[in-house]
Amino acid sequence: MRVPGENPSPTHTSLRSAAHRLRLDRQASHWLQKIDPLLTLGEVRARVVGILPETSEVTSFVLRPNGHWRGHRAGQHTLLEVEIDGVRHQRPFTIASPPHGDTLVLTVKRIDGGKVTNHLHDGLRVGDVVGLSEARGDFVLPDQRPERPLFVTAGSGITPALAMLGELANAGELKGATLVHHARSRTDIIARDRLVRWADAGLELHLFTDDQPGPRGFDADRFAATVPDFDQRETWLCGPPPVMQSARALWALRDALPRLHTERFVAAPAPSAGRSVQVTLRRSGRTLTLDGRGSLLEQLERAGERPAYGCRMGICHTCRCPKVAGTTRDRETGAISTEPRPIRLCVSDARSDIELDL
Amino acid sequence: MTTPTHLSPSEIEAFGRELDAIRDRHLADLGERDREHIDRIISLAMTSEAAGRLLLHFGIDPISFVLGTGALTLSKILENMEIGHNVMHGQYDWTRDPKLDSHSYEWDAVSPSAGWRHSHNFEHHTFTNVLGKDRDIGYELLRVSADQPWNPGYLAQPLRALWLALAFQWGVALHDLKLEELRTGESTREEVLERAKPFLCKAAWQVAKDYALYPALSGLNAPRVLLGNLLANIGRNVWAFAVIFCGHFPEGAEIFHEAELEGERRAEWYLRQLLGSANIEGGHWLHVLTGHLSHQIEHHLFPAVPAWRYPEMAREVRALCERYDLPYNTGSLGTQLKSVAGKIFRHALPTKPRAALTRQAPPALAA
Repeated sequence: MRVPGENPSPTHTSLRSAAHRLRLDRQASHWLQKIDPLLTLGEVRARVVGILPETSEVTSFVLRPNGHWRGHRAGQHTLLEVEIDGVRHQRPFTIASPPHGDTLVLTVKRIDGGKVTNHLHDGLRVGDVVGLSEARGDFVLPDQRPERPLFVTAGSGITPALAMLGELANAGELKGATLVHHARSRTDIIARDRLVRWADAGLELHLFTDDQPGPRGFDADRFAATVPDFDQRETWLCGPPPVMQSARALWALRDALPRLHTERFVAAPAPSAGRSVQVTLRRSGRTLTLDGRGSLLEQLERAGERPAYGCRMGICHTCRCPKVAGTTRDRETGAISTEPRPIRLCVSDARSDIELDL
Repeated sequence: MTTPTHLSPSEIEAFGRELDAIRDRHLADLGERDREHIDRIISLAMTSEAAGRLLLHFGIDPISFVLGTGALTLSKILENMEIGHNVMHGQYDWTRDPKLDSHSYEWDAVSPSAGWRHSHNFEHHTFTNVLGKDRDIGYELLRVSADQPWNPGYLAQPLRALWLALAFQWGVALHDLKLEELRTGESTREEVLERAKPFLCKAAWQVAKDYALYPALSGLNAPRVLLGNLLANIGRNVWAFAVIFCGHFPEGAEIFHEAELEGERRAEWYLRQLLGSANIEGGHWLHVLTGHLSHQIEHHLFPAVPAWRYPEMAREVRALCERYDLPYNTGSLGTQLKSVAGKIFRHALPTKPRAALTRQAPPALAA
């Protein structure tokens, strides 16, 4: 395995480029795939080597990545890629395991109606191969470990804390660390046995569940009583939006926001038709308000932009441009797209604020 | 545009809506089956390329030479037609597989994909058969309609067509460079050179691959490998030329004038695609080898739908044409080729142009 952060040498890069121009890379990757789907020229792929149920809605997938995986830091996430009915889908998942050994664990909660999470729970089997992106994200422990780290989590937001606490546990440094976790019920607590084991090894553990007497979810008063010195400690916060909001408000009140590290995955905004939206253009750095009338191409033009275009009827793909974030609708088919992917501006409209690579 | 007079504007709109419905039904159904089809074709192209190269490199007898060259030709045809052309139309963009991505696919031909996508996907598919606007290859190098002004240079066009067939990939690439703009003064030498850079780069690598790298790898067999590669490229050229010229030039396929585009609606665009295209009849493998351009009509109506669905769509389109009493130009490869050859010979001589915009509706060919 290569060292994280190491870049391929210039010779390596120009050889790759020559191979590409001589069409040798297509041949090579085709035949490597036939031998073993894990053999790729650069793509990170991983084999599922274990599937462990955590709760009724949460499952952990143990993955063994190929040699292109460059490691991760505890708390980072990766984009998992699976093919469902011929289409590749990517979703971000936190790596719930510390960087250790040659496997990594993704702990996934089933989302109602979620295409990917349901496929993972119902369709993925040991031995299957999935795609991964490089590990990303800066919701990590600093190299200089803080004296008394505090983790505040709720629901499946516990996964990055599991990785960070796992790293502390491996280093025998759990003493001084505190985890305050919120769950719906005792049976909904992910990795409860591990938490109890870590508590025995010195972790200060507080579990609050909604089926017990007392307030539901994150409660500022209860929390402040549980960890009175929280505003003095480096804190990692991860959970659903309501928990994040109340917690942030408490830290703001105590003027302690600089010590609060947060992570959340924003779910795709609900589609809405015909209202004005904000469009961020990544390359020019401009942000525009569009009126929602007509195609994105027409709206951008009215706002003074001059994107490349051809037929203006969805045929020629000249106006195709990568959508980085947000929800759009294909005006030809009515299909809603929430994932980052290229769209044809002339036959798309925005259903949320979006970001384009223009 | 000039439209068949037997259809009212509302009937034309209804015809367009029915075509939209056919397209939407197929787009909604995209999935595993399409993926399996293209994967199978890619596998076949890869296997026949490997087999072809191994036979050429390690064989010493004429039989392995013929088989090797044949296999290599087959792989180049599959790669250019059923894979490259269709992938670059965005027919598989929905899979989100980077190796099937229309904007990054680079095909095994000397013309760079980006320039080809512009002249083909935009200029040809939007302005199909519109003289002066459709820069599809035939219209500027050859005179295929009496509406194109004649000059004595066209007397030699049968020879020019033969040359174009043999060197088709070079013809396509040079055509994309718009060298004629040097003559008309629309572009300067520098502009043309700048435009030519991606082509020169791509062509150099392609030539290096087929005529230097692979022959060199084969050592003493170099002349044999070089000749095999040359023949495979020529074989692919002739085939692509034949298929493409059967798509828009057989007798009955109509030519349009720029004035006819004024205020063209989507349904009228559909109609122009239908009237300007022609199909080739044949079995499954003929269709695959043409990249399903044997269904040029369906390809022009639905350029972004995976092409292997065209035979299925053709049944629906044909039934629709019969209901609306519209022509549906189709024939065997031999018939269509004879028809195109006839045009090339006939229009080499001065022929009389039709009176633009005042002609009668074409007679409906389909019963």
